[in-house]
Amino acid sequence: MKNQRNLSNNGIRFKFYKKGEFRYLSHLDISRFIIRALNRANFEVVYSQGYNQRPKLSFSQPTPLGIESMAEYADVVLCNDVKEDEFRTRINRELKQQVQVTEVRRIIEKKDKLMNEIGLSLYIFTLDSECSNKSLIDRFYKEIDKGLIKGSFFYDSIFDYKVASQGEENNIILLKIFGYAKIFKEKNNQFFKFNDFYIFLKDWLKEYKIKVKRTRKEELFILQGGDLKTPMEVIER
Amino acid sequence: MNKINKLDFSILEELLEGVEKPGRYIGNEIGIKSKNPDSPAELSSMVFVALVFPDIYEVGMSNIGLQILYDIINKHKDFSVERVFSPWVDFEKKLREKNIKLFSLENRIFLDSFDIIGFTVQHELLYTNILNILDLGGININSKERGKDNPLVCAGGPAMVNPQPLSRFVDFFVIGDGEEVSISILNIVKEYKKNNREKRWFLNEVSRLDGLYVPEFYRFYYYDDGRVKKFEPEIKVKKAVVRDLNKYKVVTDPVIPNIKTVHDRFVVEIMRGCGRGCRFCQAGFIYRPVRKRKVEDLIKYSVEGIKNTGYDEISFLSLSSSDYGKIEQLIEGVINSLKSKRLSISLPSLRLNSFNLKLLELIQGGRKSGLTFAPESGSQRMRDIINKNISEDEMLECIKMAFGRGWERVKLYFMIGLPFENRQDIIQMSELIGKTIMAAKGKLSGRKLSRLRINISINVFCPKPFTPFQWVGLDKPEILYDKFKYILNNARKRYVDIKWADPYRAMVECALSVGNQLVGDVIENSWRGGARFDNWSDFFNFDIWKEAFKKAGLDINFFTTRGFSDDEILPWDFIDIGVKKDFLRREYEKSKKFI
Repeated sequence: MKNQRNLSNNGIRFKFYKKGEFRYLSHLDISRFIIRALNRANFEVVYSQGYNQRPKLSFSQPTPLGIESMAEYADVVLCNDVKEDEFRTRINRELKQQVQVTEVRRIIEKKDKLMNEIGLSLYIFTLDSECSNKSLIDRFYKEIDKGLIKGSFFYDSIFDYKVASQGEENNIILLKIFGYAKIFKEKNNQFFKFNDFYIFLKDWLKEYKIKVKRTRKEELFILQGGDLKTPMEVIER
Repeated sequence: MNKINKLDFSILEELLEGVEKPGRYIGNEIGIKSKNPDSPAELSSMVFVALVFPDIYEVGMSNIGLQILYDIINKHKDFSVERVFSPWVDFEKKLREKNIKLFSLENRIFLDSFDIIGFTVQHELLYTNILNILDLGGININSKERGKDNPLVCAGGPAMVNPQPLSRFVDFFVIGDGEEVSISILNIVKEYKKNNREKRWFLNEVSRLDGLYVPEFYRFYYYDDGRVKKFEPEIKVKKAVVRDLNKYKVVTDPVIPNIKTVHDRFVVEIMRGCGRGCRFCQAGFIYRPVRKRKVEDLIKYSVEGIKNTGYDEISFLSLSSSDYGKIEQLIEGVINSLKSKRLSISLPSLRLNSFNLKLLELIQGGRKSGLTFAPESGSQRMRDIINKNISEDEMLECIKMAFGRGWERVKLYFMIGLPFENRQDIIQMSELIGKTIMAAKGKLSGRKLSRLRINISINVFCPKPFTPFQWVGLDKPEILYDKFKYILNNARKRYVDIKWADPYRAMVECALSVGNQLVGDVIENSWRGGARFDNWSDFFNFDIWKEAFKKAGLDINFFTTRGFSDDEILPWDFIDIGVKKDFLRREYEKSKKFI
């Protein structure tokens, strides 16, 4: 029997994306998909003790069904020491093109559960203003702060936002929303409810003749002091 | 078909917006084996097959028959098979609104672009789904109205042992085991496609194969009241049988569903057929003879399958796993070979007794899930009539032992409406439920006792073709309700949860099960009336069926509660299932000795 300390040494944090068809799988479906891939890749996962034994595998907050995500994180504890590159190569072979691990880091120090750590989710909305006109777009930029953020129901759930144009003809607008993924006692904040916000956003954009072309979860952040750090950055090498 | 039409992913994205469990429609699982329809070289020489399971994804993907056929056909270089399931009602609505045809999961090929469509039909209450799928695929439901530019439509699976109710809609039926005959059929489809032959040529060619029933080549004559008078030619369709299962490798690289299914585990068929001979059980007769796989192969393939799939649960499937002589050797072999892995094993049809309870403890690795018993009836008299050899003492002894060792849940399966059933049988069923509670209670105390739940499932006996009880009429719904009422009123609700089947649904199931060709109109009327997913209690609507029978000018009682007289030609008499009608009749007479 390996002792607990030893086991936590074999902790691994990995980041993966889910795109294409796999956006339509729920959090539970994806976790089953990952655990089977770990089994096929012949990694031995440590299980919890007790009546209902579960694999020591925990995930970051669920991404809404149907939304592409570039930033899914998971922590797993393995029975054996596995090198980061080897982990990535072996698991990716057992996954699909639409779900691939992009980063792997060994967890040296015991960390809190991902879900407890992660404070912010960054969503990027790609907006298309092709059917709009200059004066409407100008008004959009002028009114976004008040209309979409500060004056909306979502103000308490948004940490920050950024908006910028893109593309040769500037008809693509990138809207980045940093939504709260947990409650901070000192901030008096709310959870960012993606689905509600998305409905509100689409409706709000109608006046400016702007459409949402694409949405995706881009990154997750942990708030450390005043800094934003990704779940990988907080693990020291 | 010389052009394959497919659905664009961008349109699928639109369709999936707001749909319940979109994972049902995305395909792209591990284990997909279909070939690429985009290569033009393959297009003309390849036969494209749609394998349709007319229920939702989660149910269909739990079916081993589907996985077996998928594997065998796709491993053949000239054939490519893709899966199609019944869309759930919300997705059907979207398809109809947007006027988009139903498509396969793998390459999203529209149903009407396939060369051949094969339905695997597990039970009768899926018949309306079959018509619905054809219609959603843009295919005429009537066999006669489909020509050589349309896909061929066939059906197989256990419910098809009486194909008559569907004979108007399906070009040909496959009776029996599909492993061998499916390849023979597809070779003929290949020639039909390549040489641009007539549909009749094709049907004529396949009709020579074992297990093939082509309705077009048979003619049935009826009396005015609906009984079968005679059929021509008097040649019987002989069931297709795989004599040696060991000839076919266990599918060790199945398609692994992306969403949770009903049975989400690696499945190995250890034995086909059952020698028990319970007189109500259709599977017990139509899957004869009993064929077993070699234990050493099973161990090898189980290990291979667990490694390939990454599942941590394996299920050894058969109709009665305790009758597979070497079951312990199999379990030990698998556990020993996979020592380092976490594995739980399930034996879905284990006949429990004190002896194999220990076996169950071994395979569940300390986890004590539920125990399941199927006494079917409460009285020994009735169990003798139906030939179900399970004794009350043995069952109660096993429950006592199990609850003493930490088990907490038990489930009992019963049937009501069995032939020659009387009030005493029903009283004894209620008493047996009481005795089960006492047996369990005696071993529990405190918190465990307060948690005790005994699940009782009561089904309606429905006479099935090719069983000794095929001549028996269904109990009338009013009588069945009375029987249920007695049991409900006399059960101690504190400890038991009782689920019972809808007698009216049993009536429809019975009519579809023992019906003749005339019932085809009823199926069509019901489907047009909105019937779908009749196996789901939320959807089943007897009024639709009642109306459908009326519209077809038929009496539902004629096909259900009437029964058949012993000299009557049965609608399925033209099929040779391997068990003689005389034998079934003798078994029926034997059962009467216990009345």
